[in-house]
Amino acid sequence: MTALLTLYVLIWPVIVLGVLAVIVRAFVKEWRQAKREGRSII
Amino acid sequence: MDQLQQLSGPIVVTLMLLFFGGSLYMSIRISRKRENADGYMTGGGKIGFGISAASMTATWIWASSMYASATSGFTYGISGPIHYGLWGALMILLIYPFGRRIRQVAPRAHTIAEVMFARHGRSSQLMLAGSNVLGSVISLTSNLIAGGALIDMLSPFTFTQGIIAIAAGVLLYTLWSGFRASVLTDFAQVVAMLGAVVIIIPVVFFAAGGPSLFETGAHNLTPQQQDFFSSDAFFNQGAPYIAAVLAYAIGNQTIAQRLFAVREDLIKKTFVTATVGYGATIIGVGMLGVLALYAGIQPLNDDVNNLIPQLAANYLPPVLLCVFFVMIIGSLSSTADADLTALASIMMADIYGQNIAGKKRANPQTMIWVGRITMIIATAAGLFFASSQFNILDLLVFVGALWGALVFPVISSFYWNRVTNLAFTAAVIAGLACFLPVRFEWIDLSGGLGIASDVLATIGIGVVLGLMAFGFFGRPVALVIGTVSTLAAAPFAIGFLHTYPVLSGSLVAYAASTIVCVALTIMNTTRRFDFALIKERTGDFDTRDGGPDASADAGVAGSSGPAELDDRLELANDGKDRA
Repeated sequence: MTALLTLYVLIWPVIVLGVLAVIVRAFVKEWRQAKREGRSII
Repeated sequence: MDQLQQLSGPIVVTLMLLFFGGSLYMSIRISRKRENADGYMTGGGKIGFGISAASMTATWIWASSMYASATSGFTYGISGPIHYGLWGALMILLIYPFGRRIRQVAPRAHTIAEVMFARHGRSSQLMLAGSNVLGSVISLTSNLIAGGALIDMLSPFTFTQGIIAIAAGVLLYTLWSGFRASVLTDFAQVVAMLGAVVIIIPVVFFAAGGPSLFETGAHNLTPQQQDFFSSDAFFNQGAPYIAAVLAYAIGNQTIAQRLFAVREDLIKKTFVTATVGYGATIIGVGMLGVLALYAGIQPLNDDVNNLIPQLAANYLPPVLLCVFFVMIIGSLSSTADADLTALASIMMADIYGQNIAGKKRANPQTMIWVGRITMIIATAAGLFFASSQFNILDLLVFVGALWGALVFPVISSFYWNRVTNLAFTAAVIAGLACFLPVRFEWIDLSGGLGIASDVLATIGIGVVLGLMAFGFFGRPVALVIGTVSTLAAAPFAIGFLHTYPVLSGSLVAYAASTIVCVALTIMNTTRRFDFALIKERTGDFDTRDGGPDASADAGVAGSSGPAELDDRLELANDGKDRA
C-alpha cells in the first residue's frame, strides 16, 4: 500500500515533465521555423 | 506554526521584476506600432501547437485551482485531488469536439457571443457576453486576491501592495498587444509553473517524511479519507464540479478565445495536451493537501487557502521557496492576462463592433483603444473588489448557474437548425429561475417541491452525461446515454439529491433550460437556420495591411461585403424575432 501511495503522489510530476517537454519542443520548432521565414512567431 | 519562513523584501522585488520584466520584454519584442484589431483579439487565428497548448494549459491553471485542489486533498483525502483535477481536465477534453464544430461554422469569429449574434440576435449575444464579463471580472479579482495573500504571507509586503504590484505587472505587459502578448507570455509562464511542479512535489514529499509518512500518519485520516472511492468526495466535490466545469468550459471566453486562435487542424492536439498538462499539474499540487493531512498539519488561522504556502514555507529551502513563489505568480498572471484580453475582445467585438458602431462602421483603431481602455477599467475594478474584501463567492455561484443554463441552448444552437432566439432566451431564463430557489434554499425542499427539484436534477444528470457523449459519439448515442443515466439515477436520486443544494442547483439549471429549449424548438416547425450564414456574418474587423492575416483572410469576411452582411443580418434577426 505504501509503495502504491508513493507512486500515486510521484507519478504526477513525471507526467507534467512529459507535457512540458512536448510543449517546449513544439515551441522551439515553431520559433525556428518563424525565424527561418523571417516572421513573428505570433 | 505561528511564524512562517518568509522571503526578504529585496528578493521578492527582484523576483517580481524578473517575472514581469521578462513578460514585458517578450511583449515588446512582438509589439507593433499599429496593432491589428483581429490580432489583438485572437492573434489572427493561426497560432501553432506549441504556443496554443502552452496558453490553454496556463490559462486553465489558475492560482485558485491549485489552492482548491490541495484543499480537496486535505478535506477528502486521497481521492480529493482526483475529484478536483481529473474532472477539470476532462472538461478541456470534452469541449474539443464542440470547439471543432464552432470553428467549422465560425472560422473567423472572436467570441462565442459574437457567433450567437450571428445565429440568433442581440438578446442571446448579450446574455452570453454579460455572463462572460462577470465571469472574467470575478476570475481577475480571485487571482489578485490569491497573489495578494501570497505576498502578504511570504514577504514583508502587505496584501494591498501585493495586489497593486501584480495588477500593474499584468496590465503592463498585456495592454499594448493584447491577446498576442497574453499567449506568448503564457509559454514562459507555463514553463515556470510546470517546471516548479516537477521539482516541488517530490521535494515536499520527501521532506515531509517520504513513503513512511503513509504509515506514521495513517491515523490522521478517517475511513472515507483513506477510501479512493469515497462517496463523500464524489458527492461534495466531484459531482458538483463535473456539472460546473462543463458550464465553465462553454461559458468562459478565455477558452473560446484560444479556440478561435489556434490553427483549426491543431485544435484536437492542443486540447488533448492541455488536458493532460492541466490534470497532472492540478492533481499533483492537490497531493500537497493529502501530504498535509497525513502529516497532521493544521492550516494557519484555520484557513485552508493557507495550506500550500504553509507547506512551501515549512518544507522548502529558500531557493525553492523562490521557485514556488514564481509558480503561483505565474499561475495567476497567466489567467489574469487571459481575463483582461477576454474582456477586451468582448467589449471590442460584441459591444463596440456589433452593438455600438455596427460591423460596417467599426473603426479598427478605435476598437483597439476600446480593448485597451477596457483592460485598464477591468484592472481597476479587480483591484477595487479585491481590496474591499468583496465576497465574490455568491457572484461566482450565480455566474456558474448562468453558464449552466446556457450550456444546452449554446451547444444546440450550433447543431440544431430549428433552435430560435426565443427558445434560447426563454431556456436561459427558465434555467436561472429554477436554479436560484434550489441553490440558495429559498423554498422548503422537504416536501413535494423537493421531489420536483429531484426529478429535474435527475433529468439534469442525463443532460450533462448526454451532452458529454454527444460531442464524441453523436446524437443517437447521446440520447441513449442521457435516457439510461436518468432512469438509472432516478431510484437513488429522487428523494435524496435536494440535500445537496450545490449539486442540485446546477443540475436543475441544466434540466430546466434543456426542457424549455427543446419544447420551444420542437414547436418551431417552419423556420430553419442555414449554418453557412454564420461564416458570412462573423469575420475580421480589420483588413488593413500589416495585420497578422490581412492578406490571407480578407476573403472570408468580405465575401458579401460588411455593409451588405450587416443589413442582411439585421433583416434576418428582425424576421426571426418577430416570428
